Amino acid sequence: MMDVFSALGHGFSVAATPLNLLFCLIGAVCGTLIGVLPGLGPVATISLLLPATYALDPVGAIIMLAGIYYGAQYGGSTTAILVNIPGESTSVVTAIDGYKMAQQGRAGEALAIAAIGSFIAGCFGTVVIALLGPPLALMTQKFASPDYFSLMVLGLVSAVVLANGSAFRAVSMIFLGLLLGMVGMDINTGEARMTFGLIELSDGINFVALVMGLFGVAEVISNLEGVSTRIVNHSKITSIWPSFKVLRGAWGAVMRGTLLGTLFGILPGGGATIASFSSYALEKRVSKTPERFGNGAIEGVAGPESANNAAAQTSFVPLLTMGIPTSATMALLVGALTLHGIAPGPTIISRQPDLFWGLIASMFIGNAMLVIINLPMIGIWVRLLNVPYRILYLIIAVVCAIGVFSVNNSSFDIYMTVGFTALGYILRKLDAEPAPLLMGFVLGPMVEENFRRSLITSYGDPMVFLQRPISLVLLLLSAALLISIVMPSISKRRTEVFQE
Amino acid sequence: MKSIAQRGNSDLYTGLLLVVVAAVALLYIRTLTVGTVLEMGPGYFPLGLALILLGMGLTMIVKGLTTAGAPVGTVHLRPLFFILLSFAAFGLLVERAGLAIAILVQVGLAHFASRESTWQATAITAVALAIASSIIFVWLLKIPVSVLP
Repeated sequence: MMDVFSALGHGFSVAATPLNLLFCLIGAVCGTLIGVLPGLGPVATISLLLPATYALDPVGAIIMLAGIYYGAQYGGSTTAILVNIPGESTSVVTAIDGYKMAQQGRAGEALAIAAIGSFIAGCFGTVVIALLGPPLALMTQKFASPDYFSLMVLGLVSAVVLANGSAFRAVSMIFLGLLLGMVGMDINTGEARMTFGLIELSDGINFVALVMGLFGVAEVISNLEGVSTRIVNHSKITSIWPSFKVLRGAWGAVMRGTLLGTLFGILPGGGATIASFSSYALEKRVSKTPERFGNGAIEGVAGPESANNAAAQTSFVPLLTMGIPTSATMALLVGALTLHGIAPGPTIISRQPDLFWGLIASMFIGNAMLVIINLPMIGIWVRLLNVPYRILYLIIAVVCAIGVFSVNNSSFDIYMTVGFTALGYILRKLDAEPAPLLMGFVLGPMVEENFRRSLITSYGDPMVFLQRPISLVLLLLSAALLISIVMPSISKRRTEVFQE
Repeated sequence: MKSIAQRGNSDLYTGLLLVVVAAVALLYIRTLTVGTVLEMGPGYFPLGLALILLGMGLTMIVKGLTTAGAPVGTVHLRPLFFILLSFAAFGLLVERAGLAIAILVQVGLAHFASRESTWQATAITAVALAIASSIIFVWLLKIPVSVLP
């Protein structure tokens, strides 16, 4: 216990340097901004800002990128409540009761409860990372290569759970990603693989060009296809401070949402969106007056908003302790760490204590900043909704182009982005989500390395993956997860959740 | 430019896409040493992946031909074409003509991607972006590129 406190103290000394505080603030503000603006998700934004962090030191870069992710959870609720447009998928259910409350003149109440719930959940989730991180990392350090291989299989399977639509197609996207991850130099022999004689590809496909194309630019094109919506009127905010009665009503929902979100964040295949949906369903079920839901029930705002924030926080656990991303956003952070020369894995805590504890401390600071950014300054964010997309997309396009170029100062990467944008666009049209592809791409080299090493140590016996107990358990978990998706009863519920 | 309302289902086209990628990869993997389970060469793992991808792609093609699946989403060529073109133009110009011209040309081409954009707003945005980017990226962050030709 003492260790955690002294380590956290060290973390605060890292996170509280003026420069890191600034990065934390920039991340929180950017996160709120994209949370407010519909049609620009955290994955796209982190990929947009990834090149900009290249010049920073790794700690500052990760603090900022993490801030964008959890900041988006705050911002997403603002527009959901005020104008019935969820800025993020994680705030979709918040709009149901939040917007009703706003129509009844209780917008301030809903916003305050959302922010307070988010803050409590965010802090609780961060405590869980601090407590759970070190022991989990120690445990993972005992893993041998077959165990790692199976762990990565589990991580990849979780990408299938998160994907919307056909599971078979999501699996095929993983394999496509794995194959793309093979491009570049072979780790053992140094031989160039699938580079088509291009020197620019010898270090592999540029990660920034890939994500920027698949997510950032392809999303811009998709947004341009629709007719843009302009918000003219929004509900007035009268009083921000909720009454004691409202606070008492929301308290239980905040607690339940926090616990649910914390759990969902850690589990593979969980994540913030599913956590918020489940929390809404749970609140409706435990409520003595379920008929109030849909007509402005405060629990319907408090629960999901707490759940998505807790999950956003604890989804860092698998990444920081085992090096396994469980969502597309976390896969981006793996890429960011790798760009900065840090191999994600169980050794992060022991080898990069500044990074781990600094990040955790920054999460406390960032959550506090977000409450201030969101509550008193709410008017500014709402006004931002008036920036027309016909100007916004031009800015995004230029920032993307300069961003990709600046990573290696090469025009080749821009042409790669053009190619991946086209691929991302086609995949969207084919209803194949690019998120599993990204997971495969990020994990590809590690999967191969551990696969090869496992079979060398076992003298070519593939049974090694089933003989080691840890590996066996992980593979069984993966199998159970896969079966649960394919099973008709559960997959039906999954579709319902996504369609809601 | 008009949008193309696609007929046919997405299984078939996803399958075709995967088969093409797998085939290209397999062509290249032929030049690599595959090795054995005990001594895996650089081609071993990619070969396995490409074969699985090929199998999955073929399965999807069969499924797409035999069942009536979900149709492909409507393709709007206008935003796709002009956004891609604007990026390619930026890539071509940034080292040859400098950042300012690359941005002006990129924004000018991207203008056509949206039906709602007005020339006045685009012109102001373009000039503002060129100036702001020159200050932020070249002057402050010092990326090695010149502002003017």
